Formats: sequence, C-alpha cells, structure tokens
Amino acid sequence: MIGLFQVAMLTLAGCLCIGSAVATVKGWVTRREGIVWTTVWLAAAIAAAWPDMTTVIARALGIGRGKDLILYCSVIVMLIGFFMVYARLRALRRDLTLLVRRLAILDSSSAAEHAPEQPQ
Amino acid sequence: MNGHTADTSPQMPAAPQLPNDVREGVFVVIPAYNEAQSLGSVIRDVRSLYPNVVAVDDGSVDDTYTVAREHATFAVRHLINRGQGAALQTGIEFALRQGASYIVTFDADGQHDANDIAALVRPIHAGECEISLGSRFLGEATHMPLLRRLTLQLAVLFTRVVSRVKLTDTHNGLRAFSRKAASGINITLDRMAHASELIDYVRDTGYPYREIPVHVRYTDYSLAKGQSTRGALRIVFHYLMGKVMP
Repeated sequence: MIGLFQVAMLTLAGCLCIGSAVATVKGWVTRREGIVWTTVWLAAAIAAAWPDMTTVIARALGIGRGKDLILYCSVIVMLIGFFMVYARLRALRRDLTLLVRRLAILDSSSAAEHAPEQPQ
Repeated sequence: MNGHTADTSPQMPAAPQLPNDVREGVFVVIPAYNEAQSLGSVIRDVRSLYPNVVAVDDGSVDDTYTVAREHATFAVRHLINRGQGAALQTGIEFALRQGASYIVTFDADGQHDANDIAALVRPIHAGECEISLGSRFLGEATHMPLLRRLTLQLAVLFTRVVSRVKLTDTHNGLRAFSRKAASGINITLDRMAHASELIDYVRDTGYPYREIPVHVRYTDYSLAKGQSTRGALRIVFHYLMGKVMP
C-alpha cells in the first residue's frame, strides 16, 4: 500500500526528472549532467516506491540496511557534487583573473608625467 | 651553472649600486593592496635608485592607486582584488611588454630595502645565474617575532620536503629575474601560495639561481599586514589543491 510520504516523494522525484530532461533539451545543462541527474531522481523515485528493494540491494552489497545504503549513496553524491562545484569555481576564478589582468594592462597609464622629478 | 649558491658573508656592507645603463633595464614590480600608507615612501625609495617602478594596485579600497599614479613610473590597476600572486603576474607581464631586461619583485609594506636590489641583479647581469632570491636568514631581519620566525622555518622545511628545493628563505618577496627567466613565469595561484609556485618554477626550469642576503625590517604596520599562522595554513591548502586540481 502506498503511503502519503511515498506519494509526495514520487511526485517530487517525477517533477525533478522532468525538470532535468527539460534542462538538458534546452541546453541549460550538458547532456552528461542531464543524464546523471535524471538517473539520480529516478533512483530516488524507485527507492521511494519500493523501499524494500533498497534493503535487498544493501544486503547484496554487505551493508545491512536499506536506509544505510541510501545514506552512503547520498554522502557520495554530495561529495562528488561539492568537488565539481569547487573545480568549476576555481576555473571561474582563473578566468576572472585573466580578464582583470587584461583590462589592467590595457588601461595602464604612465604616471611619469604626474610624478615628481627623479632625484639625481 | 645549475644549482644553488649561498652568499654567506657575515657582514652586510652597503652594496655598491649598478651602472646607469643596467639600472634603466631594471623594472621593479610592487604589488599593493590597501597600502596607501606606506606605498608612497616605498616607491620614492626605489625610484631614487631605479627609474622604472611598476606599482600594481590589486583592487584596493583606499587611495593606493592614487599614490601609485603619483609616485610610480607605471601604475597598473586590477578593477577587483585578485591576490598578490595575480598582481605580481600582472606586473611581470606589464614589465616584459615595456622591454624590461631584469624584473625585481618588491613588497609594498616597507619591509624591503631598495639598496638590496643591486645585490640581486648583479649576479644575473654577470651571467652567473638567471634568478636571485632574497634571504632574510642569510642577511638580516630586524624585530622579527619568534612566532613568525618559526612559521617561516616550517615553510622552509615544507619546501624542502614537498618542492625538494633547498632554500633558507622560501617566502621572501624580494626576488630578481632575468628577462629570459621572467618570460616563462605563469603564476596561477592568485593568493599567497604563489611564493611556493615560484619556487616550483625555479626547480622545474633548472635555471641557475642564487640566494642573496637581504635586509627585512619588521614594523607594527608590516606585521599587521603580514600573514598569520592561520593564513600560513591556508597557503599550504591552496598550494596543495593547486597540485591536484587543474
């Protein structure tokens, strides 16, 4: 029997799957990112619809409980996500520095005409 | 000649200055962030000896750029703050475009002595090396706090282990490069970890280098502007992340 929580989770996961698909089609995310996130939301939907399946998979992996499997997977996905965001941030910072440098050199002015005479 | 030669003279007489034609080819790059208080006097001191001073304002929120424009030969400005490493790279690239024969990096907080520049450039001009690195531990460091000394010595140890370069002072902003050596510099660590990146550059290129005794004077102002121990740990983190990430 499907409970209220499962209905809510399936609805949410369904919306997120559709959202990922739309984002991929519109080019807001790359195809690879779209596939990854759609897979994640599908897995969440399956876990919500058939919670006993997580226990079966967990036992097959030697973990024990289904909820522990979900927890471990969530942590791994988050860490991967943090790493990807950090890498993107580093790249953005690098590009920003290059841009700022280019502008600085282009705009640089000789201050010689404003400076006092150099001491002899 | 490859490798390291340390000039370990116990005395530190005032170094004779360079010939005028050599001095004209020396470009002194001074990166500055909120250094309006000290920058003017620092530039004047340097400019009394060397005509080409490139002051790089790293997105300061005070009057640093105004001071730079008033006193420096060339004033370059980052529209937003990017870090000392980024400012140094900007200054180096600018100096190369202006035809510099020698590029000297110099701090804006008044810790360095402009009279030491000649000692750094002389061996490069004589063809004995391509890079000169200032060392306060071979020279003289006045009023250095004990904690700062310990932190710097740890940095020396870190560099010997990680970078496998034997130096007595690994975080001294007073350095000199030949044009050839400066042309290959590409600082990617924008903040303070650039010092370690430059040491890695020295190692990787195999350019002959020398450590030169220099004066470093600590004042309340320069200590307040300098790196804390926590900042040193942040430098290590950024340096190591730069090693593992693209």
